[in-house]
Amino acid sequence: MRTQTARRPGVAPLLTLALVFALLVSAASLLMPRRVASAQQQGRTSAIDTYAITGARIVTVSGAEIPRGTIVIRNGLIASVGANVAAPPDARIIDGAGLTVYPGFIDANTNLGMPAAPARPAGGGGAAAAFLAAQQQPTPAVFSPNSSQPVGLQPEILASDVVRPGGEQIESARSAGLTAAQTAPREGIFMGQSAVINLAGDTPQQMIVRSPVALHVGFTPLRTGTYPASLLGVYAGIRQMLLDAQRYREANAVYERNPRGLRRPDQDKSLAALLPVLSRQMPVVMYADRQRDIERALDLAQEFNLRVVIAGGAESWRVAERLAAAKVPVLLSLNYPRRTTPDSPDAEPDPLRILRERVDAPKTAGRLAAAGVRFAFQSGGLSNMNDYLANVSKSLEQGLPREEAVRALTIRPAEILGVADQLGTIEVGKIANLTVTRGDAFARDRRITHVFIDGRPVDLRPAPAPSAPGQTRSLASGTWALRVQLEGQPERSVTLTLQQEAERLSGSIQGDFGSAQIANASVGATGDIRFTVPITTGTQTTEATFNGTINGNEMRGTVTTVGTGSGTFNGTRAGGGGSTTPSATPTPTQTPTTEGTRPPE
Amino acid sequence: MRKLISLFVTLFVLGAACGGGMFDAQGQRREGAARTAAATGAPTETLIRNATVITISRGTLANTDILIRNGKIAAVGQNLKAGERARVIDATGKYVMPGIIDAHSHSMSDAINEGTLSVTSMVRIRDVLNPTAVNLYRELAGGVTTLNLLHGSANTIGGQNTVVKIKYGRPVSEFIFPGAPPGIKFALGENVKRASSTVLPGQTRRYPATRMGQEEVLRDAFTRARNYKRAWDEHRAATTRGDKNLIPPRRDLQLEPLVEILEGKRLVHAHCYRADEIIMLLNLADDFGFKIKTLQHVLEGYKVAREIAAHGAGASSFADSWSYKIEAYDAIPHNAAVMTRAGIVVSINSDSDERARRLNIDAAKMMKYGDLTEEEALRLITINPAIQLGIQDRVGTIDVGKDADLAIWTAHPFSVYSRVETTFIDGDIFFDRQQDLARRPALEREREELMRAEANRPPTEGGAQPGAPRRRPTNHHDHDDVDNGEGDNHR
Repeated sequence: MRTQTARRPGVAPLLTLALVFALLVSAASLLMPRRVASAQQQGRTSAIDTYAITGARIVTVSGAEIPRGTIVIRNGLIASVGANVAAPPDARIIDGAGLTVYPGFIDANTNLGMPAAPARPAGGGGAAAAFLAAQQQPTPAVFSPNSSQPVGLQPEILASDVVRPGGEQIESARSAGLTAAQTAPREGIFMGQSAVINLAGDTPQQMIVRSPVALHVGFTPLRTGTYPASLLGVYAGIRQMLLDAQRYREANAVYERNPRGLRRPDQDKSLAALLPVLSRQMPVVMYADRQRDIERALDLAQEFNLRVVIAGGAESWRVAERLAAAKVPVLLSLNYPRRTTPDSPDAEPDPLRILRERVDAPKTAGRLAAAGVRFAFQSGGLSNMNDYLANVSKSLEQGLPREEAVRALTIRPAEILGVADQLGTIEVGKIANLTVTRGDAFARDRRITHVFIDGRPVDLRPAPAPSAPGQTRSLASGTWALRVQLEGQPERSVTLTLQQEAERLSGSIQGDFGSAQIANASVGATGDIRFTVPITTGTQTTEATFNGTINGNEMRGTVTTVGTGSGTFNGTRAGGGGSTTPSATPTPTQTPTTEGTRPPE
Repeated sequence: MRKLISLFVTLFVLGAACGGGMFDAQGQRREGAARTAAATGAPTETLIRNATVITISRGTLANTDILIRNGKIAAVGQNLKAGERARVIDATGKYVMPGIIDAHSHSMSDAINEGTLSVTSMVRIRDVLNPTAVNLYRELAGGVTTLNLLHGSANTIGGQNTVVKIKYGRPVSEFIFPGAPPGIKFALGENVKRASSTVLPGQTRRYPATRMGQEEVLRDAFTRARNYKRAWDEHRAATTRGDKNLIPPRRDLQLEPLVEILEGKRLVHAHCYRADEIIMLLNLADDFGFKIKTLQHVLEGYKVAREIAAHGAGASSFADSWSYKIEAYDAIPHNAAVMTRAGIVVSINSDSDERARRLNIDAAKMMKYGDLTEEEALRLITINPAIQLGIQDRVGTIDVGKDADLAIWTAHPFSVYSRVETTFIDGDIFFDRQQDLARRPALEREREELMRAEANRPPTEGGAQPGAPRRRPTNHHDHDDVDNGEGDNHR
């Protein structure tokens, strides 16, 4: 959003001055960013644009599998496909013997290409620095100028306005066989409107397949210390804004009928952005993993008659009946939880609920399929994209039918995201996004050999080994030993276990404040972290809000409570590892969600 | 008595220590158990035979049967007959009392305070309920069946409450107490002032910072609510007159509940400590023409008991939390008794997941402090909180026609040796000590099996450090010992 508005002042005077068309063209080309110009020079016609994959097994998804056939790609589209199709003479031929061609796999929910908040200068040591660091308002990654709403409640933000091409994450996604993705801004309650992008292209314009696609709702309380700062306020805030949008629609309708004698309603682009959602034209993707999160989201959608899609969905199988009855699709995360802590005689055993959750995670897809819930797979912040297909395979072992697995990677996301006419199957006229494997896509020895996006092969990186438990780290994930100093009270030790999935954070505390799960938690790209947790001092329990900054393996900040005073905390991550500094472009994380040790529920 | 209490505490702590392991082993198993009970059509009739029945309404009846049918108490008497398929429980030598009602709880809430604003009447506890919170099961094991779930005390006007029955294992919608009048939390005093919070550099202290400011916030809010109501009344009148070209006023979720208060449709539960702030609130309510339904904590209530009684407010207090912070310096253990004698409907609440499971003992203490009769002390945790929550027609006594929410105790519930055998809600069993014990070996086996699964095996290398074992509370943390400065009832 900001990059565009920044460019405009330079162009506008020229537009007004330049009356000669030729002048306009030359001026524009001078101003054109380099990469755009080079993309044009490449020109789609000058390069090879016709390919044929011959003699391959073709999983069309739209129809029967072709055991041995040929696909012709021309000008970015699938030109022909079949057992008896001949490769045209001008085509570059790929011998498909031993290869399987799938419709390009789609990651149904990501932050790919979305900007992260700029890094804050790393603070020095000391409690005073921690105070100051905690107080600095983080610079938002994206915001809408002249909005009536604070950052985090701006539904008018468009992913397509801020998406950036290229980069490590997009490259690793397509090396894992992914060709397209839904992408949405990273943070907020009303996070903004998503786009479907192809994972290749030199400009945003080339990448975008469809925009806007869906409004994303994250339920993460604002981290700026302003309302709403808790889940309570998040729900009330969403409700009030939807009511305001309803009234905005009504007020404008009345005013347009007859403006005379009526006070003009304020123009409000945030509320205007909610109108397609209220009229059910645009779906709402709600982030919800636990059963109760999903039920709350469904209740809210029902209250305002919204077209809801659940993203995450770890416990969606517990709500399968309701999801099926209400025809609510699920964008199911493949970031399956697993244990990250080594054996220790001193450790509290993991509660049964957690043990079950880890074992049950791969069963969810099969259960949804059996219950008739439409679902598509998404990466859910996987750090190692090679786990994407590996985890689909785990679900296959747990009863997910193979055809359903293929659909959940291809046509299902295309349908749910409204791009089924363009993507998701191998049919003539569709965009030539293809994932080609040696061996079956779900076999242990599979290899991604070719990935076509918009009819062009993309360079693939050698795949990293599938991640072993506990090897990967993120900004916040891990076990932290914290010292908490509340005013006038003895210092207390707390073990904080965190699991981070993109900006979302879950975890628990143990130690001198008792055991409890954290809530309302979030972590920013620059390491600013915030969460609330019930703490027990003596026999009484109160709610504490932790607000701080992560710097490598150190964390420090402030604690505020209701009634028990305030204070500071600092601590270190056990085990050393972890990302050493918060990076400006954070890898959307990582460590599979485990709930660590926490009291059972 | 004090010795007795400390013995009790020691026993209880031991029990809690074992209990921790037991819950650990069980996790959410009860969910399955409770569901199957409902699904397989648990008996619609239950006959509890030959118990000592603490009715609350009609004294304590020896050798008495209780017949439960379709979730209601169908008969209380001797030699009752039940249908063939009825579940019959021999309660010889045991006590049955109504399910305990906790008038101030923060259990099962995923968020407690929306502390950013001074008026957050738009937020609803109903939105953040967590029906899987293990404390609920512990509360059932303490004979508690109904909770008043309140917003915290961070701001003058907090959020909307929810009254629930602890139907642990059921979907959250089944927890909601049917027909309970809606309520809201107010808060006065130190917590709202943020007396104990440090203002950080670059931060402004949230208004109000004084008790004067709290009154102003309330007056401002209710003045806005009146104007809001008037705007809507005028709009409706204009619509009725046939005016067409009208833009309706904005629906304001913050002011709507306040209008409900003005109209007497929403109960006010006001957190307060000191006599001056209590009088301020009662006067303010009189000015705006609404009633305070309950004063919560109300530790100086004894000083202004007559005024509270005259207003008609109830009082919900702690058993014995005195002097643990400045505004509690004048608190006395006789508070509940003094207020009871002044004709106030008084209850004892927990405000704590931990104390909630021994409210029976907190009520018993009121016989020592202020000489309440056994009957009066029992009412503090049964019919009195029911009256305060407007649910007295459904729960709070053992009477024919009321909901079958009750617990079977091994001894009189005021004995420190008594414990709950079985807890019923709407005639269904939600806690049963014998079933609990019987399930443990199977759960242990399941745990062993799960530990062998790949996802539960420790990482081959690296990995995060395991969490330190939880430190168990020791008895010196009990509230009787307030000098450690750790006690705090405020959320």
